[in-house]
Amino acid sequence: MIRNYFKIAWRNIWKNKLFSFINIISLAIGLSASFVIGLMVYYDFTFDKFHKDGDLIYRITTVYTSPEEVDYNYGVSVPLIAEVKQNLTGIQQSTAFFTAEPSRIMNASFSKAYNTPEKVIYADSDFFKFLSYEWLAGNSESAIDGPNKVVLTERRAKKYFPNRDYSDILGEILIYDDSVSTTVTGIVANFKERTDFTFEEIISLDTGKQSYMQDQITDENWNSTSSMTQLFIKLNDKKALSNVQNQLDVLAKKNESEKAVKYNEYRSFYLQPLKDLHFGKDIGIFDFTEYNADKSILTNLLFIAAFLLLLGCINFINLNTAQATQRAKEIGIRKTLGSSKQQLVFQFLWETFMLTLVAAVLSLGLAAVLLKIFADFIPEGLHFGLFADPLIIGFGVVLILIISLLSGFYPAMILSSFKPVSVLKNRIISTHSNVSIRKGLIVFQFIIAQVFVISTIVVGRQIHFMMSKDMGFKTEAITYVKTPWMDGSLQKRQLFMQKLAAIPQIESLSLGGMPPASNTIHASGVIYLDGKKEIQTDLQLLYGDDNYLNLYDIKLLAGRNLLNDTIQEYVINDTYRKLLGFKTPQDAINKIVGQGENAIPIVGVMEDFNQYSVKSKIEPMALIGDWSRKRYSQFNTIHMQLNKNSSDNWPKDIANIEVVWNSIYPESDFKIEFIDKTIAKFYDKETSMTKLLNWATGLSVLISCLGLFGLVIYTTERRVKEIGVRKILGASLTQLNVLLCKDFLVLIGIAFVIAAPLAWYGLHNWLQDYAYKTNLSWWIFALSGLGIILLSLIIMSVKTISAANENPVKSLRTE
Amino acid sequence: MLLELNNIFKWVNQGGKRIFLLSDINLKIDEGEFISIMGPSGSGKSTLLNVIGMLDGFQEGEYNFMGESVHTMKEKNRSKLYKEYIGFVFQAYHLIDELTVYENIETPLLYKDINSSERKALVADMLDRFNIVGKKDLFPSQLSGGQQQLVGVARALITKPKLILADEPTGNLNSKQSEEIMQLFKELNQEGVTIIQATHSETNAAYGSRVLHLLDGRRDFN
Repeated sequence: MIRNYFKIAWRNIWKNKLFSFINIISLAIGLSASFVIGLMVYYDFTFDKFHKDGDLIYRITTVYTSPEEVDYNYGVSVPLIAEVKQNLTGIQQSTAFFTAEPSRIMNASFSKAYNTPEKVIYADSDFFKFLSYEWLAGNSESAIDGPNKVVLTERRAKKYFPNRDYSDILGEILIYDDSVSTTVTGIVANFKERTDFTFEEIISLDTGKQSYMQDQITDENWNSTSSMTQLFIKLNDKKALSNVQNQLDVLAKKNESEKAVKYNEYRSFYLQPLKDLHFGKDIGIFDFTEYNADKSILTNLLFIAAFLLLLGCINFINLNTAQATQRAKEIGIRKTLGSSKQQLVFQFLWETFMLTLVAAVLSLGLAAVLLKIFADFIPEGLHFGLFADPLIIGFGVVLILIISLLSGFYPAMILSSFKPVSVLKNRIISTHSNVSIRKGLIVFQFIIAQVFVISTIVVGRQIHFMMSKDMGFKTEAITYVKTPWMDGSLQKRQLFMQKLAAIPQIESLSLGGMPPASNTIHASGVIYLDGKKEIQTDLQLLYGDDNYLNLYDIKLLAGRNLLNDTIQEYVINDTYRKLLGFKTPQDAINKIVGQGENAIPIVGVMEDFNQYSVKSKIEPMALIGDWSRKRYSQFNTIHMQLNKNSSDNWPKDIANIEVVWNSIYPESDFKIEFIDKTIAKFYDKETSMTKLLNWATGLSVLISCLGLFGLVIYTTERRVKEIGVRKILGASLTQLNVLLCKDFLVLIGIAFVIAAPLAWYGLHNWLQDYAYKTNLSWWIFALSGLGIILLSLIIMSVKTISAANENPVKSLRTE
Repeated sequence: MLLELNNIFKWVNQGGKRIFLLSDINLKIDEGEFISIMGPSGSGKSTLLNVIGMLDGFQEGEYNFMGESVHTMKEKNRSKLYKEYIGFVFQAYHLIDELTVYENIETPLLYKDINSSERKALVADMLDRFNIVGKKDLFPSQLSGGQQQLVGVARALITKPKLILADEPTGNLNSKQSEEIMQLFKELNQEGVTIIQATHSETNAAYGSRVLHLLDGRRDFN
């Protein structure tokens, strides 16, 4: 029986090549999107599932609540570690470690060096009891129980000591940042499963206490929190959670800062479950984790996949119910030959299943292409090979079954319910309910396509708007290069500057901190007394020499520039001036901010500019010099204005700069950045979102149009006789076209009327997140509506014009 | 007695008026009969065949088939009954275009859950008997009308029905092909199969043992 179904299914698919093609392509697109997105979801939800008692593991993180906002930090203050280790009850284990970013690692003889080794931590001796690694050499007990010890992962060991036995590597000396000497005491295998614990070099915490990390690791201040400080605990059991949280609340209360009550700013400790770690969201994962899974993005992606699948299913339902009359004869015959309704339903479902299966095979190929296209959107560990995972295969099978049912069930019910008598006598009138369901489905398809189109235009415009919005400072032809962090010598930087000044293409130079807009924020709390009340603000600090404002073309509204690099003066921005309550920039000049030894005069007011993407507001800011130069110089970046008229020569200029760099910092890697590129990076998320949306829109329009095309072909072919008669009666080509397209255009019009407010509502909400937003002008809606109508008209005309052109004698004779 | 129709009425409502397709049909048919139903177009021949074949219902009257009362039966049991005992032959052959000759003949057996080896044997017998072994892998569109109808008859016979209902079986055939088919029906009838055919042609009707005349849905005894 199955064999018979198989044959007839195959022959039917083959016979209606065009319709089968449309069905298969539509389903394959939906399926491939689902496969890829399913893969992403699966990938992100299977992080760190392999740890023993994983559901009892929590990370302690810090939450700051103030009247204005809630802030998160995935670190804790250092004194909490000792409290947790000594006094916290209800936990069976805990471990603390500090993430570090050393600049260089060398072997004992200083003969071989590696710059910026990544994923290095200083961990306490409980670390290896907490996470169970497989030991390739050494053992968990004594590996990091004292100073100057380091454990390497297999991967790192192979990099530093290629072609050596693991046991042989033990005892080797590694020196971090020219000063911290460690002995390799163990080698562990990298976790095979997906994990965010990707540390490669684990240095004993006692080592850190004797190194330049000392200040950080032994910080006694309850109110200083660094994201480097990581504290994990393992509960005794699930019930202990509230007890542990209570103890942490007490600790937070006991050690709260003086500011807490005064400014209504409170700190609390939040227990983040291990399963939430990968979805950092507000909190983040570790300092060096680049990829952050986002549940809301995953949800949106799932919606996109579901919509694309649904569109494919709709095509299938529409084309198959429309074609029903062609299958009717076979159904009638089968019924008289003794087939039951169930058997027919099964036969059609089987046919749908086969078609879906073909689509699924095709979609695997498409999925590979999609993975390539979205490579920058997709985490590195996610590759095509994951499709071999049994769970994914199971998901695929279930999905194929669901899709087969979803698209096949309704047509199967329609087809199998034909009465044999009426079928065999050619008395099938396609019932009205059938037609109206089909119309409803088309409207639904085009609502989705239309919403996608409108969203794409608006999102694209918003991003273009943001990227082209004037930041408030000059961004053309300006590059900057950060000097090595390890080399604090100001003389070298000044020498570098001097040598750069000799390159004629560099028009202007400035030594300072970060550029005006960057990802890094330096801020300090500042208090201004205006006689009546205190104004407490977080003031962002921008470090720059006397040419900084000039180079970035930031104008002074009043007062003057900084006198020299080390004088304690503020040049504040206009936002801060307004916040302080000065009516004009001039009023702010010579006022004093702060008290006692921190009393600093305002000497100038500069115009406002964006310190980060235009998504965020302009914050209070001050340009200052290099006050702490004696201890630590903030002037670590050299900003250069290149000749903007000779951009062709820039590669040559940069090569020249690199030559200079290599003469001064021969051991460090040269990395130069253009400010406009830095700014573009603020919008990476939006850019990849646009790309995704473009594809989703393209595909949804494609599927909907394919379905429309199929239906137009079908309905037009059924009306050739009518067309012939009308033509003989004198209808013109245009009249015939209008006749044939009218019904569909009405449906697309209805879809637009429903889609436009839906899209408006969604986009209006989306735009609320942006400080500067583009307008939702009426013409965007009009344009996209007209676009879809025009597109569908073109698609329909392909068939209708040729049908209308046909010689009526021909079509009437064949009847 | 094979079947019995008592006071069968069948009508449709059109524009508020009742139009009778069959009215007061009484009919007894014994096993082994060969009956021809004659009458002009629209006289209700096909409708009567469909009622007998249980493909179509009726509003009033009684229908007993092999001692079972069809009019009180559920749809499911009815289809079981005709699946078991009745074979259909159509004017337009009604072969399934996507299936080969072999597969078309085999299909009724699939719906009767007959196992594969037995199916093979039965189909092979039938191909043999009708001399169409060489055509078994062809599709209906590759056959002449007469050959198609031959396949249609073979398919009706494959389940060894007690009754064959043929609705103008030769209506689309030329006279030579017609004669072949009618000859075949005659042979089948001699083997004991009951046959009821609807026909326009006096010649074809003559093959039957009894002729029934219909006019406007009624028996015409003149």
